Amino acid sequence: MLYNIIHSILREAGSINGYGLFSFLLFFGFFLGVLVWAFALKKNYLNHMGELPLDGGEKNSTDKIKSEKL
Amino acid sequence: MKIETFKYDNRIVRAFAIATIVWGVVGMLVGLLAAVQLFFPDANLNFQFITFGRIRPLHTNAVIFAFVGNGMFMGIYYSLQRLCKARMFSDWLSWFNFWGWQSIIVAAAVTLPLGYTTSKEYAELEWPIDIAIAVVWVAFSINLFGTIVKRREKHMYVAIWFYIATAITIAVLHITNSMEMPWSALKSYSMYAGVQDALVQWWYGHNAVAFFLTTPYLGLMYYFLPKAANRPVFSYRLSIIHFWALVFLYIWAGPHHLLYSALPDWAQSLGMVFSLMLIAPSWGGMLNGLLTLRGAWDRVRQDPMLKFMVVAITAYGMSTLEGPLLSIKTVNSLSHYTDWTVAHVHVGAMGWNGFLTFSMLYYLFPRLYRTNLWSTKLANYHFWIGLMGMMFYCIPIYVAGVTEGLMWKQFNKEGFLQYPNFLETIVQVVPMFKLRAVGGTLYLVGTFLMVYNLYKTAKAGTFEPDTEAQAAPLEKAVATHGKPSWHRVLEGKPLFFTVLATVAILVGGLVEIVPMFLIQQNVPTIASVHPYTPLEVLGRDIYIREGCLGCHSQMIRPFRSETERYGEYSKAGEFVYDHPFLWGSERKGPDLAREGGKYPDAWHFNHMDDPRATSPGSIMPRYSWLLTQKMETDTLPARLNALRKIGVPYPAGFENGPAQKDLQAQSEKIVANLKQGSITAEPDREIIALIAYMQRLGTDIKSAPPTAAK
Repeated sequence: MLYNIIHSILREAGSINGYGLFSFLLFFGFFLGVLVWAFALKKNYLNHMGELPLDGGEKNSTDKIKSEKL
Repeated sequence: MKIETFKYDNRIVRAFAIATIVWGVVGMLVGLLAAVQLFFPDANLNFQFITFGRIRPLHTNAVIFAFVGNGMFMGIYYSLQRLCKARMFSDWLSWFNFWGWQSIIVAAAVTLPLGYTTSKEYAELEWPIDIAIAVVWVAFSINLFGTIVKRREKHMYVAIWFYIATAITIAVLHITNSMEMPWSALKSYSMYAGVQDALVQWWYGHNAVAFFLTTPYLGLMYYFLPKAANRPVFSYRLSIIHFWALVFLYIWAGPHHLLYSALPDWAQSLGMVFSLMLIAPSWGGMLNGLLTLRGAWDRVRQDPMLKFMVVAITAYGMSTLEGPLLSIKTVNSLSHYTDWTVAHVHVGAMGWNGFLTFSMLYYLFPRLYRTNLWSTKLANYHFWIGLMGMMFYCIPIYVAGVTEGLMWKQFNKEGFLQYPNFLETIVQVVPMFKLRAVGGTLYLVGTFLMVYNLYKTAKAGTFEPDTEAQAAPLEKAVATHGKPSWHRVLEGKPLFFTVLATVAILVGGLVEIVPMFLIQQNVPTIASVHPYTPLEVLGRDIYIREGCLGCHSQMIRPFRSETERYGEYSKAGEFVYDHPFLWGSERKGPDLAREGGKYPDAWHFNHMDDPRATSPGSIMPRYSWLLTQKMETDTLPARLNALRKIGVPYPAGFENGPAQKDLQAQSEKIVANLKQGSITAEPDREIIALIAYMQRLGTDIKSAPPTAAK
């Protein structure tokens, strides 16, 4: 039964209109969700996350090493 | 709070860095040799192991999996430890990853010139190596997830998400696309046939670009750019949107490699629409990278590492704008099969991957050896020579691509093709091929300058095998930033995060691939299409071995300019016995989908012996060894048996006797045909099998009008 339903839905895939629309809406819904999610994040949390690569925890920092000779 | 002291493993980073440099040089040298053969075909010295068809996959594999692959591991092993504030989960797994990967590269460098190839682009390696890749990838993934689990930093920085997406998706893609039926210790046939094989292959091929060349490098960009600029990424919020939109969208875009082919229209349209939508997250990522440098552009003037990075991010933006544009069906109708695509991928490979790798190397060597870079001046020379090399490579090839596309489509006033002879169009762009080789040489010279500079840097400093670090253990280090949000909870739980990322990447693949396999009407069968004869099977395998699809497509698109030149356009039902499909993606020579019966057997014989004898000005290499090498008939039963197992309807017992008789009869017929052209040939030579295959191409529906079985 379930197989038949899925099968008949997939058979309709030949018509791009319905299938394309479904795919687009799927992505659009997902994208909206990510947007809402990202904008709900707190500023101090985002600042903390952004700083993470800058603190590698090294005892003897390599920050003074230069790729350029000044 | 108790602070723990631990050590980061620098040895593994250095090992991958050296491997990156070594394989980078090798990959570029092989590319240069291939480029030279395109205007000087005798550059292979009539040596079969280094003909264009065999070394083109060697070049692409070396650059993608050896140069960028090692570069990716180098960057991940360095950044992951520091982002997790933990040593790698297992040193043993790290070294297994390293030596396993190098062994795979060596195996590729040996087998591809020997002609052991599946012919599926960027997945050419044969089945035993495919298994090895899966094992090494699993080892890397365990090490990655193990390190994440034992981290001392509560939050997983966005770079780690990109690494996780890479680990999962590459495993899914590699295993799905490498389903093959072995027929010898080193040879196999793809489980899928024709249109289905094409869809799976380009779903893989496109996402190999996405998840091997892009997502890990985006992760590395999000780590190394803030480090180099000494400031956080412009918008962490944007990086979250970048990640989720990119991993969700990328997987859908594969069918844009098959526009106007025999792939069902709905799949082509999905590929096009999702490719266009990809511009948004890609440009979000590019802008996020470039804006990170706001207020620090003065440093870009001084620091060659930042210079490389700026060009890399710009190249990422350019190629991710161009890719979607090339996916628009009307643009693709002009660009597909031409050198435009080659130029497009080289902006990505040389600009994005190459320059980002150079940038990381310039960052890492001074830090691993605790000294300043030996010469900033030399690094600046490298930058400018590399950039010039890229320009000299890409611009001529863009010109060549557009020229080819326009010439193929040009009709004269009388309504006939303006350039009916394909050779006219290729001769026109040979000067561009020469300029391209100059560009490649410049890029390579720049790389040599880097090698010398890094060598001198290493000599001047002292290698630090382990870097001591300190951090509080995880339970004690939890910082609170108000009420935890859903996202914070999510990225604090790596397993749950991984499951969600897997779902995001699987949706697109399933939506496209499942209907292709379930719905019979997607591949209408044609009653007159029959399996290949035993001799044709051997010929087809020689065609695969020589890498003929590197220059010849077998897919006539439904355009008048193509049907006039090549004949009836290709139908999905014609390829149901094609394990693997051989549609190709490049035309340095004419399409061969309807080659059968176009020329007499003797013409093919002479053409293979010396293409310039029959087609003056041709850039095809000589294949004189086919005239002397004996065909491998003892493996015929194994080949037919394997094909039967994956669905080709050879009658039971056909391989034990009837097949050999069939092969003999067909060979003798070809030998008799050759005699009419005053050519004496032995019936057991490879050329006979190849002629049989060439003469079969496209004839199934020439002999009878196509009728749908259902």
